Amino acid sequence: MTSLPEGAMAAAAVAAAAEEEPEEAWAWTWGAGTDGQLGNGGFQDHHLPQPLLLPPRCRGRVSFIAGGGAHAIALTSDGEVFTWGRGTHGQLGHGNLENIAHPKFVKFFENYTVTCVSTGWNHSGFATDSGQLFMCGDGSFGQLGTGDNQSRNLPFEVSSFTTKHVEKLAFGMRHSLVLLKDNSVYGFGSGRRGQVGKSASKNQKIYSIPRLIDGFPNCKIVNLYANGDHSAALDESGQLYIWGRALVGEHDDDQPRAAFPSLSISQVALGWHHALVLSGGELYTIGAYRHQKCDPTVSEDTVAQQLHLTTTSSTHHESSSVSSLAKGPSIHGEQVTRIAAGTEHSAMITDSGALYTWGWGEHGQLGLGDTCDQVVPQMVNLGDEGSRSPASLGVYCGSGFTIAVNLA
Amino acid sequence: MSAYDEVEIEDMEWSEELAAYTYPCPCGDLFQITLADLRLGEEIARCPSCSLFLTVVYNEEDFADAKEPPQKPPAAPQPVAVA
Repeated sequence: MTSLPEGAMAAAAVAAAAEEEPEEAWAWTWGAGTDGQLGNGGFQDHHLPQPLLLPPRCRGRVSFIAGGGAHAIALTSDGEVFTWGRGTHGQLGHGNLENIAHPKFVKFFENYTVTCVSTGWNHSGFATDSGQLFMCGDGSFGQLGTGDNQSRNLPFEVSSFTTKHVEKLAFGMRHSLVLLKDNSVYGFGSGRRGQVGKSASKNQKIYSIPRLIDGFPNCKIVNLYANGDHSAALDESGQLYIWGRALVGEHDDDQPRAAFPSLSISQVALGWHHALVLSGGELYTIGAYRHQKCDPTVSEDTVAQQLHLTTTSSTHHESSSVSSLAKGPSIHGEQVTRIAAGTEHSAMITDSGALYTWGWGEHGQLGLGDTCDQVVPQMVNLGDEGSRSPASLGVYCGSGFTIAVNLA
Repeated sequence: MSAYDEVEIEDMEWSEELAAYTYPCPCGDLFQITLADLRLGEEIARCPSCSLFLTVVYNEEDFADAKEPPQKPPAAPQPVAVA
């Protein structure tokens, strides 16, 4: 088996998955697929949900999926990791630079228990239960935290954190954020837009050694978020802090700023030009999709009526400052339970277990069977009606693709 | 249709393989603009996989006679294995 070329391995994996898993899918992907990032065995775009070829033994054990530029990492509840998609910079962690079209177990971690993973454009990170941080992939911007700009094709431990306990990771396009158990937040990689904290000097744009990001006074940070050149942190009271490239307007910020103090935020999802936040089961949006065309034959109101949606007029227009948060689209009578954002598209799950997508659709990343953009959320048909409990469905986005999975 | 975004040339990466300056496209591929394009004063970087394009901000004089990328861009680092 070890002497088989990758293509044959993929074919074998496809065959094995087909054999052991005759009909009922439990993990799906759709959207841009030319680097294998759909993990469905192929290298092409798909406009409708395809089965994600995670091994059948992972069924009910997936706890999180991270989607990067064109690769993804699946984490199981017992600490195993699988990677697939673009491998050109070693970001899959298998010791080579190959693209892989099906989820592949990362052997490097067979004796570790991984508890948190994140993906940037072409880099990957893995935190373990013992607080160690391992990185691989593109290091051109210092985003591996090694002090150099080398790329790595096998995970290596970041020495800056060997005496510390890493708990959470969040990676943007060219930067990395790390939360330690002692509540400190570190950033490294590209700092061109302030995304790794206060600039040391005007000319320095790359920070290859992790640096402490100040600006979280008297609060316990519980999670970090990053995408594009944006960074965010959430504290235990639901207060959101944002820094990096401006989501609205032109003013980047190299220091964390408290945003929307009136909301108690439970989840955050960042795109490249927009953000979603969830508070009390309601969705709010910041910024706007850069790419916004909609089907000229269907007016927004018509669609909204058909789906019993309500939107506010400000939702899809640029606001003048980041403080102007827009109430997001909502589904009458349903609370939003999960949110996710790709570069220019969004996804949410409601308490009835329904999955909706909207935004940019050129690569089929909305999973609606076409390449249209959508201004208001549209329900995605996973073809598994009634076969799962509403609370178990999770949704995650890579740049131009989307993944839905029945979680652990 | 307007440009997806505006990017300074110094934020783009030189790709030997593509012989072009590149920048991530939200679809997962790369916006690209060649040295020849830059010499001609072209300011649009296109993505081969989708309809989006970028406006590239650069100083035309820097590229007017350029044969090689002017500010010696970092060579694509060779991925190394570190166990």
